[in-house]
Amino acid sequence: MPNEATATKDAPVDPRGPRFSAWITSAILAVVLLTGSWRLLAAQTLLFAMCAFISLKLNPWGHVYRFAVQPRLAPTTEREEAAPLRFAQGVGFVFALTGTIGYATGVTALGVVATSAALVAALLNAAVGLCLGCEMFLLLRRYAPALARPQ
Amino acid sequence: MTGAWALLGAVAVVAVIALVLRARDGRVRVAERAEARVSLPGPVRDLLDAGTPVTLVQLSTAFCANCRQTRVVLEDLARRVEGVRHVELDVTDLPEVAADLGVLRAPTTLALTPSGVELVRVGGVPKPDALIAALRPHLPGPIG
Repeated sequence: MPNEATATKDAPVDPRGPRFSAWITSAILAVVLLTGSWRLLAAQTLLFAMCAFISLKLNPWGHVYRFAVQPRLAPTTEREEAAPLRFAQGVGFVFALTGTIGYATGVTALGVVATSAALVAALLNAAVGLCLGCEMFLLLRRYAPALARPQ
Repeated sequence: MTGAWALLGAVAVVAVIALVLRARDGRVRVAERAEARVSLPGPVRDLLDAGTPVTLVQLSTAFCANCRQTRVVLEDLARRVEGVRHVELDVTDLPEVAADLGVLRAPTTLALTPSGVELVRVGGVPKPDALIAALRPHLPGPIG
């Protein structure tokens, strides 16, 4: 069992919401790559941090999904656990933070590489529904224990 | 300019990963060596049942996105097929168990005999028909 230090526990969610969010995240990261704007990436980093460490309810795209998209879709009984989603946001946070530091300090190569990695993860989630961080948790745990410590 | 190339590269990487996963996901891999594993980790060995020909051990983690769906598929399979039972082991805090088994992703499902021989292994959500077909030689009666 993961330790109980998690600040709040989110209820399971409609899996299409995170897919929708992942598309927007992908778009933001693509704009970061094209413009090299560390401010935009810093904003995305903050968003990742809020979702990962506080609550998924702080994700603005989730609210957009609920009010603008979900009413137009057929309802589904399918639910997805919140823990993997939050873990994935944590993985995104690490990459986005690294990228922000890279761009902001002029080490553009670091910014580009880290942002690209975050984009790959977000796009996989959006397009294929695959949570790379979740699948690779055991791999991370084995080779990068510090990254994969249960939150 | 570099950014645009990186963007294209990222899209290409996503396409490659998606194709590889589509090919591999849920595929049933039959174990090559048929001898009992001497080193089957204790927590897994404890889950085996002497009276059931095949135990499906589903390795899950707390952060696993497809484990819930895998559980639904395997529980249903165990209900329908005689001689098969399904158990789930959360390896979030047992990384050494996953490492000993050579398991790098969750969910991974192992089909084990009562003595701990690994029959097949499936990464991702298993395709039930393919899994039943692979287990058939090890099961007693007709499939109900």
